Amino acid sequence: MDKEKYLVSLKESIVNLDFDAVVEAAKEAMDAGVDPQTAITDGMVPGMTIIGEKYETGEYFLSELVVSGEVMKEGLKVINPYIKEGSAKKLGEVVIATVEGDNHDLGKNIVTTLLGVQGFEVVDLGADVPTDEIINAVKERKPDILGLSALLTVTMPKMGEAIEALKVADLREKVKVIIGGSPVTSEFAESIGADHCAVNALEGVKKCTEWMTPREVK
Amino acid sequence: MHRVDDPTGGEISMAEMTRRERIMTATHKKRADKLPFFCLWRHSHVGWVERECRNRGMGIFWARPPYITKMHGVKSSETQVVSSGKVVLRRTYSTSVGSVYLDEKREPGVEQWKGLSSWRNVAPWQTERLIKGPEDYKILKYMVENTEYIPYYFPIEQAMDWLGDDGVVINSLPYSGMQTLMVSWIGSEGGRFFIHHAKYPDLVEDLARAINKSREPLYEIAAKSPAPVVEIGGNIDGVLVNPKLFQKYFMPEYEKQAKVLHKHGKLLATHMDGRVGVLKDLIAKTPIDIIEGLTTPPVGDLPIGEALSLWKDKAIWAGFAGSVLILGPEPVKKLALNLLREIGSGDRLVAELSTEIILSDENMLLLTSILEKADLPLTKEKIDRIERSLA
Repeated sequence: MDKEKYLVSLKESIVNLDFDAVVEAAKEAMDAGVDPQTAITDGMVPGMTIIGEKYETGEYFLSELVVSGEVMKEGLKVINPYIKEGSAKKLGEVVIATVEGDNHDLGKNIVTTLLGVQGFEVVDLGADVPTDEIINAVKERKPDILGLSALLTVTMPKMGEAIEALKVADLREKVKVIIGGSPVTSEFAESIGADHCAVNALEGVKKCTEWMTPREVK
Repeated sequence: MHRVDDPTGGEISMAEMTRRERIMTATHKKRADKLPFFCLWRHSHVGWVERECRNRGMGIFWARPPYITKMHGVKSSETQVVSSGKVVLRRTYSTSVGSVYLDEKREPGVEQWKGLSSWRNVAPWQTERLIKGPEDYKILKYMVENTEYIPYYFPIEQAMDWLGDDGVVINSLPYSGMQTLMVSWIGSEGGRFFIHHAKYPDLVEDLARAINKSREPLYEIAAKSPAPVVEIGGNIDGVLVNPKLFQKYFMPEYEKQAKVLHKHGKLLATHMDGRVGVLKDLIAKTPIDIIEGLTTPPVGDLPIGEALSLWKDKAIWAGFAGSVLILGPEPVKKLALNLLREIGSGDRLVAELSTEIILSDENMLLLTSILEKADLPLTKEKIDRIERSLA
């Protein structure tokens, strides 16, 4: 039986934003012996790529981007138990957080999902995260990239505070810092010493991928 | 406009407009003497800078509710709990069909500024929303169907009395159904609203319809209030409220609201402070009279000049981007001058000094020193003159 059929089902279930279909397609693929990594990279990821393309052309909106990520997670719940530990390749590691005082994590969560799709390992610290906690995570995990998000103008300065704290901890040169969120601008990113201001989730993920691409896969 | 006796010649001359007249003239799409500008009362402090800026033409904008709310058959209680390691205030609503709760985090100084806001003007934020799963919808529907709105004009009358001609007081009404769910009851954190809307479309739509129906009496209540403008909900951002959602769930409500308000000569305003570029053509088709809080790029994505060209039947109350206001005087000056250069004659526009944060003394003085000189109609020469005066 050609495995292509299962991969197409997985892809279509993602593109159609169908929660039930993705679970069914994932179960069928695993039962048919499709390699779980192949099911993800050649089935689900192409579906997410189509979603991304539709988003960029304006056919799909943020809502579809979010829901597709959720659909993919449902499929992954079925597939992940079949993946042997250590078999997955990693493009890089990202620690990501919404800064203290800010509970808005919609953008951060989309970025987290898309980074995962792209092959990053993502350590999501959540929302309303104190600067100390962010610095400790960077110390402990030694990520390639730190992603910081804020939606409120009053919490934006916390991003600058985190970058200053990285400097104090002698970590700033060891990690790229990308910031994002509706009120955040390139001028602000420059003023606080961030490496990049993401225009949107897709652009931010592209930048992270670009940063990691010249390097060897871990 | 005030007509006053000229003490030197004994003839009648025209004094300059009051701040209120200026704002309302522009809002009614007529030409004011100067570009109206104001500060939201809760984003303005009290002190010598505020006094000086008001003396130099800055108005005050005050939104207050014309109603009180009673819920029947619903008991509410509050208690402090620790949730996910954080101290939060848990508010529980108990009904005969079940209970729901929300958790709220309050930063130090909450209730010490204005309303529930803290010293930084940050209101409490919800860390757990009322709707967590599909089982919560029926409880909220019960609460909605047992909510009564009663006219209560004292807050409006009091604010109008206090403010006089120094600014405008408007009616403030809550979000319409789908926006209530998106912003408050389900919330958009982690895309929760979109996920609920995709997984439980019937439950979401049914509750949104119930909210809309329950709030319909508010339009008539606001229409009969003494304030001339009624602002209904808002916080519209095209990234969250995409064109499909806007067309299906928001536009029909604007039609219903405007029908009632216009019958009583009231103007309909909506707060649209997000990136609404993707909605611009649909917004043009709505009967909204005032787009309030439209924010300049880079926070907004629709240049104010373009919005004025597109929405010829609407007035725009445009806000300066908060993330520029924190960058210091030069970027703020540039932003203000750019705004003047893109709005043509300056008609149909009212400038809001800040829609998000408490305005600093420095910014209030700087923006006043620019906008107080903006005589209408604006011309390139006038704007050049303003720019030179700042050098």
